[in-house]
Amino acid sequence: MSAPSRALRPSRLEQILRSGIVLYVVLLVAVPLLGLFHFGVADGFVRFWEKITAPVALSALWLSMWTGVLVGILNTFLGTATAWALVRYPIPGRSWLSAAVDLPLAIPTLVAGLMLASLYGPTSLLGKSLRVWEIEIVFARPGIVLALLFVTLPFVVRAVAPLLAGIDPAEEEAAVVLGAGPWRTFRTVFVPAIMPAAISGGIRSLGRALGEFGSIVVIAGNIPFRTLTAPVFIFGEIESGAPRTAAAVSAVLLSFALALHAGARLLEQRTGARLAAG
Amino acid sequence: MAWIGAFSRFKWPTVIVVALMACTGCKRETEGSAAKTPALTLGVYTTPREVYGRSILPAFRRHWHERSGRNVVFRESYLGSGAQARAIIAGFEADVALLSLEPDIEAIRDADLIRHDWKAGVHGGMVTRSVVVIGVREGNPKNIRTWQDLARPDVEVLTPNVRTSGGAMWNVLAIYGAAMRGQAGTPRGDRDAAIGLLASILKNVKIMDRGARDSMLTFERGIGDAVITYENEILVGRAEGKRYDYVVPSSTILIENPVAIIDAYVDRHGTRELAQALVEFLWTPEAQRFYAQHGLRPVIGSVASEVQAQFASVEDLFTIRDLGGWPEAQRLVFAEGGVYDRAIAGSREGSP
Repeated sequence: MSAPSRALRPSRLEQILRSGIVLYVVLLVAVPLLGLFHFGVADGFVRFWEKITAPVALSALWLSMWTGVLVGILNTFLGTATAWALVRYPIPGRSWLSAAVDLPLAIPTLVAGLMLASLYGPTSLLGKSLRVWEIEIVFARPGIVLALLFVTLPFVVRAVAPLLAGIDPAEEEAAVVLGAGPWRTFRTVFVPAIMPAAISGGIRSLGRALGEFGSIVVIAGNIPFRTLTAPVFIFGEIESGAPRTAAAVSAVLLSFALALHAGARLLEQRTGARLAAG
Repeated sequence: MAWIGAFSRFKWPTVIVVALMACTGCKRETEGSAAKTPALTLGVYTTPREVYGRSILPAFRRHWHERSGRNVVFRESYLGSGAQARAIIAGFEADVALLSLEPDIEAIRDADLIRHDWKAGVHGGMVTRSVVVIGVREGNPKNIRTWQDLARPDVEVLTPNVRTSGGAMWNVLAIYGAAMRGQAGTPRGDRDAAIGLLASILKNVKIMDRGARDSMLTFERGIGDAVITYENEILVGRAEGKRYDYVVPSSTILIENPVAIIDAYVDRHGTRELAQALVEFLWTPEAQRFYAQHGLRPVIGSVASEVQAQFASVEDLFTIRDLGGWPEAQRLVFAEGGVYDRAIAGSREGSP
C-alpha cells in the first residue's frame, strides 16, 4: 500500500473504502465457496467420501485433473514461446496476431467447441485424413486437451509479454558484452524476470481448464469412463437432481486448484530466492 | 492505490447507460404484468417449441378472444424437462407446465405446488405421444433394423445423457423394455442379458449430448450411423427437408408427455380460468391436429385415426406401465447401482 509511504494516517474515506473492498471480496468469493463446501458435506463425511469415490465421479475427476495439469504445463512453455515471438520478432501484422491471442476469451466457449468439433470432426476434410491415420481428436481425449489449450491460450502470453517488453535492453547487452552465449543470456536475464509470471499464468490456465464446460461438452463426447470430464459430470448431477454430489465433486476440484496455487507460490518463492542468491 | 487507477479507467458513462437500460428493462416488465391483458406463463420442454409457438398458442389466442372477447399474452419458457421442473420448483411461476416425463410433473407436485389429481382426466394428464425410433443415414447403408443391430461393433450410435435428458431415459427404457419382453434377441425376462445388450449398445455410443435436440443436431452434422430419438424429432427434420431415414423397431416404448396446471401459481396470479381453458384446448381436435402436423402422435382417438397413415405402426408397443410405472422404472433402471449404472460399467470393459 502507498499510504504508509506518505507518512499519513489513512483518512476515514480510505478506511471505509478499504473495508468495503475486503467485504466485497469476501461476499463475492469466499462466502459462496464456503457455502459450496458446506453444501457438499452436509450429508456427512461418509456420504461425501462415497460420492467422490464412486467410479464414474473418480474417473471424471482424474480426467479433468490430468488434462488440466497437462494443459497448464504446455501453456507455461508454449505461452512463453508465443509471448517471446510476439515481443521480440518483427512479425508482419504483429498487432493483429497479438489481438488474435486474446480472442479465445471473447467468444463463448460453446462456440469455440463447436468450431473445433467441425474443424477436426469426422466429417471434415481434416478429420477424414486424420481418420486414415487412425488418429482420433474430436470425441476423444486429444479433443479435450485441444479445446482446453484453445480457451486458455491468453493466460501465459498476457502474463509474460509485458514483462519481456519491459526488460531493459542494457541488461541483455551487458550479458552479451560479458561473453554470455544466447542460452546463458536467456537464462540469466530473461528467466528470472518472467519465471514467476509464466508459472502463475500456467496455474491460472490450469484453474480455468479444471472448470471448463462449454467447449468440452460439445467436443469430448461425454461418455462415462472415457471422455466425461468433471464439470460435465457435475452438470449431469445437477440436472438429474443430485446437487450434493455436484457440490462434493466441485469441492474436490476446488481443493485441487487451491493446493496447486499454494504449490506454485512456494515454487515461485524458492526459485525467486535461488535466482536472487545465484 | 492501484485499484483507484483501475476504477478511473473504467468508463463511467458506459456503466450509467447500462444501468439505465437495465432499469427501463425491468420497469417495462412490471408494467407488462400490471397491464390489463392477462398473461399466462408456460414452462415447456424443448422439443415442442415450434408446435406451441407457431400453431397452438396463436390458435388458442383466437379461440379465447372469440369466447371471452379478451386478449391473452403468453410468456413461454423452453428448457429441458428436468431443468424446467426444477426452475418451477425453485420459484419460476409458470401457470401451466408442459413437460416430457411424468416424474418431472410429480416432482412439482411433491413440492406442493400442484394440489389436484393431475392424472384424473380422460387422457391421464397426457397431451401427446410419440415412440422411440432409430434415425439412420439415407438408404440405411448399415442395414440397421433392430435394437440388437445397434450393438454391432461397426455401428456408431448417438443417444443423449440420461442425467440431463428425458429423451435419453425414454431411449434406455425402450431398449431395456424390448429386451425384457424377449423382442430384442435376448430371452424374455432375462435381466442380465438385457443389461448386456444395453452395455453393448452404450459401448458404441460416441457422444452423449445434453438433450434430444442436441443429439439430433450432432447426427445432422454427419456424425454417427444411428441416433436413438423421438419419432417426432425425425419427422420434423424430414419435413424440413433433412435427408435421413428412420427405423421403427418391432418393439418400442410409447412416450407420453404430460400437462398440469400449477395450483399455487395460478391462484397467486388469478389465472386459473385461463389456464384451465388452455389445457382443455390442448385436447380439442384442432390442437391435436397441430401436434400431428409436428410429428407428435395425438392422444384423442378421432384425430389418431385421421392421421394414422402418417405414423408407422409398431408390432409390440409397450408403455411405462408395462415396466411397472415410473417410480418402479426409476428405482430399477436409473437409481444408483441400477440397470443403467450396470450397463455403463459393462460398456467400459474392453473399451480403449
